[in-house]
Amino acid sequence: MELPVLTLVTIVLCIGILVGGLLAVMLESHVAAIISAGLCSLFASVVYVALAAPDVAMTEASIGSGLSTMIFLYALRKTRSGEDS
Amino acid sequence: MDNFGFTEISILISAVLIFMSILFGIIRLVKGPETVDRVVAVDLLTIVTIALIALLAHLAERFIYLDVALVYGLLSFLGVLAVARYLEKGI
Repeated sequence: MELPVLTLVTIVLCIGILVGGLLAVMLESHVAAIISAGLCSLFASVVYVALAAPDVAMTEASIGSGLSTMIFLYALRKTRSGEDS
Repeated sequence: MDNFGFTEISILISAVLIFMSILFGIIRLVKGPETVDRVVAVDLLTIVTIALIALLAHLAERFIYLDVALVYGLLSFLGVLAVARYLEKGI
């Protein structure tokens, strides 16, 4: 397969990782920042699949994108028990 | 690659469609005025990512990659459910 699909995949996913990281830093709403951090982890997992490491990708998908988002939301609920941004 | 068969053409078309979906999802994620728009954009990007992992599994001819897509499909559901429960002050 001589199609340049893999290079295109890597470029688009790295653009996605950059956008997710910048949004996680620059957004003012805390929930949107947490969601953007989860998106950054999600694209990193697909880059791991493209780099032929499916076990690392599975761990990243389960911990980085699933558990980390839920723990961040739980901590945000615990610390800011009244107002919502 | 002298002659493109049906498989190569369909893989190329699906790759272009997946990349356009990822770009539009990122645009909605950047522009979205509310948090709910960003949640829906992340859900869209997760589903498109599952399709991308399946495409990579076909491209590399290693079908162990489909397990990653399976784990992904389960966990994206849980993540979006947690965010939805947070937004209606539940969790």
